[in-house]
Amino acid sequence: MARTVLCACEDVTLEEVRRAFAEGHRDLESVKRYTGFGTGPCQGKSCLAAVAGELLRLGATPAEIAPFTARPPLQPTPLALLATADPGALPLDPGVPPPAAGPRPRPQGGPLPERARVVIVGGGIMGLGLAYQLCRRGERDVLVLEAGYLNAGASGRNGGGVRAQWSTPTMIRLARRSLALCRSFAADMGVNVWFRPGGYLFLAPTAEQVARLERNAALHRAHGLATRVIDPEEAARIVPELDRRRFLAASWNPDDGVVFPWPFLWGYASRAAALGARIRTFTRVTGFEREGRRLTAVRTDAGRVTCEVVVNAAGAWSKEVAALAGVPLPNRPTRHEILVTEPLKPWLGPLVSVLGNGLYFSQSQRGELVGGMGDPDEPEGVVSGSTLRFLSRFARAALECVPRLAGVKVVRQWAGCYDVTPDNNPVLGAAGFDNFLQLSGFVGHGFMMAPAVTEAMAAWMTGGEEDEIFRRFTLARFERGETAREDFIIG
Amino acid sequence: MPRLPEPRFVPDCAILVDGVEVPARAGESVAVALVAAGRPLVSRSYKYHRPRGPFCLAGSCGSCLARVDGQPSLRTCRVACRDGLRVETQNAFPSARHDLLAVVDRATPHGLDHHHLLTSPVALNRVVVEVSRRLAGLGRLPDRAPGPFPAATLETFDALVVGAGPAGLGAAEALAAAGRRVLVAEQAPRAGGRLRAGLPLRGEPPLAWAAEVEGAVGRAGGELALATAALGLWRDGGSPIAALAAEAPPRLRLVRASVLVLATGGTAVPPVFPGNDVPGIFAGRALAVARAEHGLLPGARCLVLGEGEEAAAVAARLAGGGLEVVARPGPALLARGRARVRAVELAGERLRCDAVAWVTPPAPAAELARELGARLELLPALSAFAVAVDAEGRTGVPGLFAAGEVTGPLDGAAAAAAGRRAGEAALRG
Repeated sequence: MARTVLCACEDVTLEEVRRAFAEGHRDLESVKRYTGFGTGPCQGKSCLAAVAGELLRLGATPAEIAPFTARPPLQPTPLALLATADPGALPLDPGVPPPAAGPRPRPQGGPLPERARVVIVGGGIMGLGLAYQLCRRGERDVLVLEAGYLNAGASGRNGGGVRAQWSTPTMIRLARRSLALCRSFAADMGVNVWFRPGGYLFLAPTAEQVARLERNAALHRAHGLATRVIDPEEAARIVPELDRRRFLAASWNPDDGVVFPWPFLWGYASRAAALGARIRTFTRVTGFEREGRRLTAVRTDAGRVTCEVVVNAAGAWSKEVAALAGVPLPNRPTRHEILVTEPLKPWLGPLVSVLGNGLYFSQSQRGELVGGMGDPDEPEGVVSGSTLRFLSRFARAALECVPRLAGVKVVRQWAGCYDVTPDNNPVLGAAGFDNFLQLSGFVGHGFMMAPAVTEAMAAWMTGGEEDEIFRRFTLARFERGETAREDFIIG
Repeated sequence: MPRLPEPRFVPDCAILVDGVEVPARAGESVAVALVAAGRPLVSRSYKYHRPRGPFCLAGSCGSCLARVDGQPSLRTCRVACRDGLRVETQNAFPSARHDLLAVVDRATPHGLDHHHLLTSPVALNRVVVEVSRRLAGLGRLPDRAPGPFPAATLETFDALVVGAGPAGLGAAEALAAAGRRVLVAEQAPRAGGRLRAGLPLRGEPPLAWAAEVEGAVGRAGGELALATAALGLWRDGGSPIAALAAEAPPRLRLVRASVLVLATGGTAVPPVFPGNDVPGIFAGRALAVARAEHGLLPGARCLVLGEGEEAAAVAARLAGGGLEVVARPGPALLARGRARVRAVELAGERLRCDAVAWVTPPAPAAELARELGARLELLPALSAFAVAVDAEGRTGVPGLFAAGEVTGPLDGAAAAAAGRRAGEAALRG
């Protein structure tokens, strides 16, 4: 049967590109995410022009077909080759490419309304999840403003891990609720998110780390989790390729898992829109109007919207957004880099994380290894460029952990920002103004927390139960000194 | 008789493809050996398990991947043959030729919408996740570590020229003539770029010029590095740093240079019509190169599809030696065939053929320029973006120049002149 194939690597056909366009994915970055074109071994070199040509024929503008970000390395490159570079000789810098200039694609989501009861700033998983949950509870006069395309921020850039292994009862409770929502998300929302409960395996290279795992496992069991601390032999039965000389013990929870992040946003967005929410992309918030202790309108590059409630769900940009209202947040957005390899047949069940150096990796539904590693030298700043230093640091750490990865080839690297707070806990509730609600500061685990947190927040905003997190994680806690640190941050 | 009948093109070794011996010439690519042996079907596609074979023959597309000597998903057009080399087809059961999983292709005439596939109930969706996970992925984990690789070198040159086609050679010649130490990095195993095709086009420099430039570059203390692919340009620590992957011996070279000239040319773009992915459809220029260097005849009857001077030149270059060539401007409406192309339908006629040479201007290979934030301009005819430059190849990014087909379609003579101008402008700073 003859198909017209536009992307031979990923088998994306003309029909599929047309379907994506019809569903509102008009710019190349969005079409790339929805169809998968350009994410194969050729990196979009052979298919970009064909897809762009079709989008032009369908009515896209030149700004909408501007090439998606060029992702190094430009040739699939074995981890072992990247490991030969000395990361110490490669100082950190903002990376490549520089932020794009030039005309922006047309906003999607209809004209900007003059008023909306609830305006949510940020169309990541937090903002969209909240919009959907509000609509479900009957609050449908909701407007979501997203500065880029859906999945442009950390929601579209993370490793897709979802785990219940945390170090405080509150986080464990929220994560367990999120895991339950992830398990049924595809059935509830009608879009596949490829939730796969392959477990999480934390490796402890030092005696101190082992003690930490033991403490956490006791807490986990008290809260009904199946976490166990196991020896390297048992860990190697779960992942035979591990170099068991590199760690003393591991903590294992078989119920944790991984998801494919992007469809969460499509699912939340399409369901919220079907219930009446308006979701506008490529619309930048430029300021707020205020009267006394209330914000009365949101200003954007496309006009102003009067409102009764503003939710700041801008992730790494939350600090900037709050500053527009004169509210100082203690958040420190910090880049985290990540990469993906060629797709392989299934070999790795769990997400593996090494305590101490921040290395983590898992195998995605498509078979790629997706992995990242924080850099202790990373300064504060909303930066999303990629560095060579990260490639070599990751390669060295990954090969120490799993020597058999030596020949596996990296095909893409990118970066996103963790929204870091002083105590690694989120900032929630009103801040600065009675109707300026914060939903930020999730330190690299916002994605996995969002299903549970947005459900609780929508209940609270519509007069339902007030979860204790909205009292405990207010901005005021930093002034009062009532902080309890979450220390199980990875990446 | 799939090669020109000349002594230098006689196979001198054999590679093993799924356990079957295939005659080859040591040093030629596995993809060329497979096409010469009448086996353009190299793999099965990622999602639909459709037959796939080499298209670009130049390491830029991803349709000729196979497992070679225990390393998964290597581009067979970039792997050199040697006696006993083990090649295994991937993503197919039992083999690429007879893949039972091709049932996916037949069962989904309107495509497989994986986003909305069997999302409920939860129990069924769990099965879908498990099954599709097993179907996904291409290769298996490598059998062994590649290499060993030596520690990466950090080198400094006066200038780095990426690409040794006419534009890159022109730039390198101008820089070397002024005594600059130039590193010319060429991804292919031979210098010359499009000149390797030996097309009868007016004003195109002869291929011998590449050797002259190599000599001049060497005398000025520089180097022409073949089989050396640019992995990217980063800025770790300020000025741009290029990472180059050299193939022989395999190593990583990190290069800093105050002047960068991007002469990366373009990427062969596949045609767009139903059946456009059938094995046996190749980039025209690449077929001409393979004929010149390996005596490759892609079949018995080849349709040259495309318009303009270059299409005519490719048709003239491919004709003879036992290959029947038919040329048509197109557009093609449909390609028929499964394991390889059988016929192409055009307006008002149906042409039998077992190979197609697709001739169209390449899409500018602008990735390196994009990494440094150079401005691009849309070429509406190609629906591709080219690096925007002034008359002297300046991109607007300090120290970054671009010349040749990376700035838009040009003939060989114009590309060489543009490269020279960019090299001279780089000397002036």
